[in-house]
Amino acid sequence: MLTKSSRKPLALLASAAALTMVATACAESTREDGGTDESEPFVFAAAGDIKTLDPFLTSDGETFRYSRQVFETLLEHESGGTEITGGLAEEWEQSEDGTEWTFHLRDGVVFHDGDELDAAAVCANFDRWYNLSGGYQSSNNSYYWQSIFGGFAENESEDIPEPRFVSCEARDDLTAVITIDEYSSIFPGGFSLAAFGIMSPSTLEAIADQEITGEEGNYTLPEYSQTAGTVAGTGPFTVQEWDHDQAEVTLKRFDDYWGDPAGFETMILRAIPDETARRQALEAGDIHGYDLVAPADVDPLLEAGFQVPTRDVFNILYMAYQQEAHEALADVQVREALAHAVDRQRIVDTILPEGGEVATQFHPDTLDGWSPDVRTFEYDPGLAEEMLAEAGQEDLTLEFCYPTDVTRPYMPAPRDIFDVIAADLEAVGVTVEPVTYEWTEYIPRTNSGECPLYLLGWTGDYNDAYNFIGTWFSGYNSEFGFRDEDLFEAMEEASTNPDQEERVAAYERLNEQIMEILPGLPISSSPPSIAFAANVNPPNVSPLTQEQFAEASWK
Amino acid sequence: MLRFLVRRLLQLIPTLGGLSILLFVWLQRLPGGPEYALLPDDATAEQRAQLRRSLGLDQPITVQYLAFLRRILQGDLGTSLNTGRPVTEEFFTRFPATFELAVTAMLIAVTVGVPLGYLAARKRGSVLDFAAVGGSLLGICTPVFFLAFLLKVVFAERLGLFPSAFRLSPGMSRTDLSGFVVLDGLRTGEFDVVRDALLHLALPGLALASIPLAVIVRMTRASVLEVVGEDYVRTANAKGLHPGTVRTRHVMRNAMLPVVTAIGLLTGSLFAGAVLTESVFAFPGVGSFVYAATQGRDYPVLTGFILLIATMYVLINLLVDISYSLLDPRVRAQ
Repeated sequence: MLTKSSRKPLALLASAAALTMVATACAESTREDGGTDESEPFVFAAAGDIKTLDPFLTSDGETFRYSRQVFETLLEHESGGTEITGGLAEEWEQSEDGTEWTFHLRDGVVFHDGDELDAAAVCANFDRWYNLSGGYQSSNNSYYWQSIFGGFAENESEDIPEPRFVSCEARDDLTAVITIDEYSSIFPGGFSLAAFGIMSPSTLEAIADQEITGEEGNYTLPEYSQTAGTVAGTGPFTVQEWDHDQAEVTLKRFDDYWGDPAGFETMILRAIPDETARRQALEAGDIHGYDLVAPADVDPLLEAGFQVPTRDVFNILYMAYQQEAHEALADVQVREALAHAVDRQRIVDTILPEGGEVATQFHPDTLDGWSPDVRTFEYDPGLAEEMLAEAGQEDLTLEFCYPTDVTRPYMPAPRDIFDVIAADLEAVGVTVEPVTYEWTEYIPRTNSGECPLYLLGWTGDYNDAYNFIGTWFSGYNSEFGFRDEDLFEAMEEASTNPDQEERVAAYERLNEQIMEILPGLPISSSPPSIAFAANVNPPNVSPLTQEQFAEASWK
Repeated sequence: MLRFLVRRLLQLIPTLGGLSILLFVWLQRLPGGPEYALLPDDATAEQRAQLRRSLGLDQPITVQYLAFLRRILQGDLGTSLNTGRPVTEEFFTRFPATFELAVTAMLIAVTVGVPLGYLAARKRGSVLDFAAVGGSLLGICTPVFFLAFLLKVVFAERLGLFPSAFRLSPGMSRTDLSGFVVLDGLRTGEFDVVRDALLHLALPGLALASIPLAVIVRMTRASVLEVVGEDYVRTANAKGLHPGTVRTRHVMRNAMLPVVTAIGLLTGSLFAGAVLTESVFAFPGVGSFVYAATQGRDYPVLTGFILLIATMYVLINLLVDISYSLLDPRVRAQ
């Protein structure tokens, strides 16, 4: 029997339960009408908050996801693909020597603030970037400008590269001519980078006096880049609000957009850094889509009725051999033996999401320059063992590094991938000593050449083989620790050849050359997934992770 | 009392000074640096070196520390490397969220923990006592992130009773007066915002409350058991005082002394728990920002936030000492 005093806590519990029921009813009533109403905001979860409203100031992928909906670039990538296509420029051409790029702009394009797009507006943007000074010249605040167009009109530090950009001329209302000092294969891809989104003349006028303030190491970004209301682009969405408290960016459909209007009236980008938390938020109905789906979550999500479109592969995972970190790796026979020892197909079959494929060279086959004639290394543990014996390395011991706290689109489960490779290497008599680092430590350790074997990869920015192989093999690189002047010179020659056909042929030869040298073992290309609720018509998913959410709508 | 206050406040100076030096040395010894978090994976060694120079990270640690100290004395905690906004602004933008979460957790812990601990003591050996002691042991042993995950799976995903993430539903419009969503909602009469905020606070609040709740239950129980056996309680009962008077004036008042101290210490430790809880619930507070700063080696944010949290920790303990002295006049006499 319950005593009077023991009934009190029960009464408290009952009250709490009743309150919960009331709260629940409220919560459910909110949830029931969510999803298909035209005015219902589409909520997409990203891994982090955006950093600035002006994409020029960052190299951050989450910021670019927002900016691609708001700003447009002269050139774009085709929807769902990697081919360069017209953006704000309907057509474009390059001069014979590849230094002069003429862009014919679309007619009738207006900015969110009512300004009209013309060649003068385009050149005003390029001239602004070229003439930036002070804190804007820090590589943290103009990373892509410095990577693509070099330095500034007046470089304020010796660290800044010489400018590659020469001028931008408005030849007529709708023709802009951009001149660079020397052809590079980063063009025309470089014109499509989200960092070079075109802003309206009124925006440029309003922000002209805004500086990045503070001294070295203590820069504060300008006000316009942090508060919605100033920046205007030409994209299908306008920025309505950036709520720093909630890490939430609200975009509104731009009714005067020159192309097809956005399917959603309102789109909200919210930050959920944790991968599991993103999946749970989708399952709980708090969001309608999220990116960077873990491969292990794909099937459960599909079974639960969610949509998980998979992007075409545009990345590469490799196992690097750092030749200076272990003398045995300087011997090409050992490198080849290790390549024969690894069952890459098993990694693709058991760890990667559906659509993954074994890589034969250091970029995916979707890129021009991929060669069908590279030397391949079939899985053959017997041969591997023989080759190691011939090289006098029967008792080889190697440190093998992998990251612990991260998944990348090209490397969805580092530990699992390591386990498979380590087991394969052990099977041919190699003693593997695992070395683990957190991601922030992993990159400097591998960059500086401390790890003899390690896993790393890359997702392309634009459709040019140089964006992959040039990143690693255009000169001495401590990540791989080898020198091959022939290769480096051939790479330089190919990347500065303005003739597309010749350049592609040169890339094919380079891929063949690289696989003879075998600086690492290309393992796989992995298709990253993105998830949506059942009531969403998803946008075309992009291998470059450049989805245009204007294409999406409610079912 | 004034001398006591001044003395305690002056103790802040060596505490924070020592902490800042430790932090600087620790951060300097951490492998990796912001140049790896801020630039893309394909950035060249030159670009990374350039960024280190432009951030002033190539300077000797003493030079960096003195520059930091100079800024601190000017009331400037620097700028986040990650967001480019002042650290103080970042902190106070996020502090209200963490404060509301901590208050919710502490309210749950105190309002449930103190009565439960008292009842467990009064009904010693009963099923209630067994459940309270066993439950609190479980609460202390269960990692916060695991409990948070479990609460989410059951109450957000399976039952759909509460939201699984955020501080407010996406797109919820509100009048922002102070950053404190619940308070602002009450002041402006936006009760839908208040309700939404409370729903979002429920699960992270409960997860964060687990350890303080368990500690408070056990401390209250132990303290009450000790006090009820004291002579002055027997005397009060023998005098024929009303049982309620004995309970409140003689038992609880004395039993609460160690509990109040524990509450002070636990309030400070809630900030540590908030790092995990906020990450699991994507709750945009100080904790999740510190977590992101750790990942990105955002030194100014880590240094600034930890100093601010340490200051608050010291101030909270000061308040505890003051409340202690109100409960126990002997402390004032000392």
